[in-house]
Amino acid sequence: MSDATRARLLVFRVGTLVCAAEVDQVREILPRLPTTRIPGAPPVVAGLVNVRGRLVTVVEGWRALKQEAPATGEGVANSGSMLVLNLGQTTPGSAGGAGGGADQAQEQGDRLVGFTVDEVMDMLTVGTGAAETTVQERGGGDDGGDGGLPGLDPTLVRAVGRSHGALFVILDLAALLGPILLQGRGEQ
Amino acid sequence: MDLSQYAELFLAESREHLSACNQLLLAWERNPASPEPVGGLFRSVHTVKGMAATMGYARVADLAHRMENLLDQLRRAGRPPGDAIIQLLFRATDALEKAVALAVTGRERDLDIAELLAELDRAAARDAAPSPPPAAAPLAAASPADIAGSGRLVQITLRAEAPLKGGRALLIVRKAQSLGTVHNLTPASPAFETEDFDGRFAFRLETSADAAAIEQALRGVGDVERIVLDEDEAPAPRLEAAAGGRTRHIRVDLRRLDALMDLIGELVTARGRLNELAARWSSRDPAIDDVAIQISRLSSELQAEIIQARMTPVWQVFDRFPRLVRDVARQLGKQVAFRVEGKEIELDRAILDEIGDPLVHLLRNAVDHGIETPAERRKRHKNPEGEIVLAAVRERASVAIRISDDGRGIDRARILQKAQREGVVSPHVEALSDDQLLRVLARSGFSTADAVTSVSGRGVGIDVAMTRIRALGGSIEIRTEPGAGTTFVLRLPVTLAIVRALIAAVGAERYALPLTYVAETVEFGATAMTTMEGRDAIVLRDRVVPLVDLRKLLGTNEAASSPPQRRPIIVLEMGERRTGIVVDGMVSQQEIVVKAFEAPRGTLPVFSGATIMGDGVPALILDAAGLL
Repeated sequence: MSDATRARLLVFRVGTLVCAAEVDQVREILPRLPTTRIPGAPPVVAGLVNVRGRLVTVVEGWRALKQEAPATGEGVANSGSMLVLNLGQTTPGSAGGAGGGADQAQEQGDRLVGFTVDEVMDMLTVGTGAAETTVQERGGGDDGGDGGLPGLDPTLVRAVGRSHGALFVILDLAALLGPILLQGRGEQ
Repeated sequence: MDLSQYAELFLAESREHLSACNQLLLAWERNPASPEPVGGLFRSVHTVKGMAATMGYARVADLAHRMENLLDQLRRAGRPPGDAIIQLLFRATDALEKAVALAVTGRERDLDIAELLAELDRAAARDAAPSPPPAAAPLAAASPADIAGSGRLVQITLRAEAPLKGGRALLIVRKAQSLGTVHNLTPASPAFETEDFDGRFAFRLETSADAAAIEQALRGVGDVERIVLDEDEAPAPRLEAAAGGRTRHIRVDLRRLDALMDLIGELVTARGRLNELAARWSSRDPAIDDVAIQISRLSSELQAEIIQARMTPVWQVFDRFPRLVRDVARQLGKQVAFRVEGKEIELDRAILDEIGDPLVHLLRNAVDHGIETPAERRKRHKNPEGEIVLAAVRERASVAIRISDDGRGIDRARILQKAQREGVVSPHVEALSDDQLLRVLARSGFSTADAVTSVSGRGVGIDVAMTRIRALGGSIEIRTEPGAGTTFVLRLPVTLAIVRALIAAVGAERYALPLTYVAETVEFGATAMTTMEGRDAIVLRDRVVPLVDLRKLLGTNEAASSPPQRRPIIVLEMGERRTGIVVDGMVSQQEIVVKAFEAPRGTLPVFSGATIMGDGVPALILDAAGLL
């Protein structure tokens, strides 16, 4: 994971947790949009949104990371941001989704997932000598390890970073979102 | 020059020619005395040879060259070929197909055809006629150069689908005579009456009219695909005529059409927003309304054009079936006449690509299990040659594809017994309806074949076919009668991309229901209520229709809104099955763009996709097959 130590990171907050994702995996940042519920899907799935003609399934960030619900209550739907994440190329056949072949070109393209966050905080470049930002791979030990991350499954953490003294976790997005979304067409 | 970018094109074009070869070989096998097939075969193989040589595929070109040699001998000899020769040509065509596929993947070396080449050479040597007899050249082969004489050379190709081509051709000649003197008509007019007149003819016309006037006058007769004036260009080869006579085609990567489709979907959504804005602002500047209306019209037309561009005639898939049926029948020692109807019916390319395999399964089944052996058929006073018909028919909003055989039919009693033994059907059931029969047959792994042959293992085939067709939003029906035969009917939506749908409200949510399977709508309470197998049901014209309450099924938040007093019921119908869907209200009927979405774990298996409504918000599409 040496590339992770040289990556550009987007830092965001979900509940009390400060997280980061590699900028390469973030396709865009949008205001939170109203979602269309998908009946049967677990609560961690907020629903579907329309991102310029493309249907994107949105995962509720605070639920996925086991944080408290945002305090804004009724206004939740319109607060915060949504990251459109790119989970990489889909392989034909494993492409999720109901529906026909109309979107085959898309299905063979990038696999997009929405992820709601409370606040986008910063963009960092690490590993280029900026002394105030350091990144330690998980299991590296002495900077507190997973200790400062109550309730977060350690397998979802790729690395832990520190910027201006504050700790953040670099999420393993595939490990976090894969199990929620993975549904073969055969099960339909 | 880097030729690799042409490999795909080479593959596609070669396949078309090889498909034509198979068709011609089948025709020749049926009627070896016919002089037509060999000419077409020669031209197709010759074309493949030329293309392969250009691409540098030496082995493909070599194989095609030897085939061409043999075909040339046969053509000159002009006598019917023996069965051994036909079978050799079938094998050579298969080998050529394989060679083409290997060549484009750079594995031409894997090709082992030394023996076949030797066999082709031996056959050619045997058939070499010392002096080619002056066999009557087929009329269609007359080249324009033969049509010497004064006046302008006029070459005409009629539309492939034109009925009564001979009559049309005579009308055109008569029209030409009104412009001047017609001579050197080729073929001569009596040939117009023959069955194999393919709609291409030529003549010399002495006239003072200019080219545009001639063309306009002749096209005015109708059904003219192409008029060539003065050019000594050979008429379009037979293959193109078979392909519908359309010559102004380009090949487009399907992904491009998909991308266009997505863009048009976005445009339709944006149009909805624009219309809303226009309604709000038109008091300030009424011109905005005009613009909005114009954009609406243009985008609708654009959408229709793109959908049309995706439509493909079914022959593109059907054309390989005659060979398949023949091979299977031969292998099993059966005699089968295979007929294809409705070849020109069009389906969305994406659907067409998916139905090939299910049709292969069903056709194999029909030959293997449907059609009896010639001896058995004779015993039952049937024609020893069985018949299988594959027919495509356009229905309301769908296309029906029918595969029927006149074979022994499915033995319901035996299927019922076996199903009961396996616990699939309750022991109290006394007879299986067609619908139940299909459900039993479609259970994965359910097989009634006494021995699983290499051709088909029955249940497996129907299972696969059912799954595929349902995934496309289609349905399968079965009808079978002992001794008279079995018919499968596949119903498919014409396009996956855009469908007409009913938008229904359930609580605060909207769902789209494709109209393909909507039979009617009735009002809850307006019909008698009953129950059926523990479910609420209504009685509709003496038939009990079970109900599905969408609020309950989809787990709609009851607290958010209570159901209205009068709720509509949308009756879905697929084959014999009917179900009433209880919704809160009907919002509209509109065309929707079908899109796939990433379905999370747990998603109810009743959605076939999603769409984006005019206000930009997604709505899920209910799958009729999943609800029935």
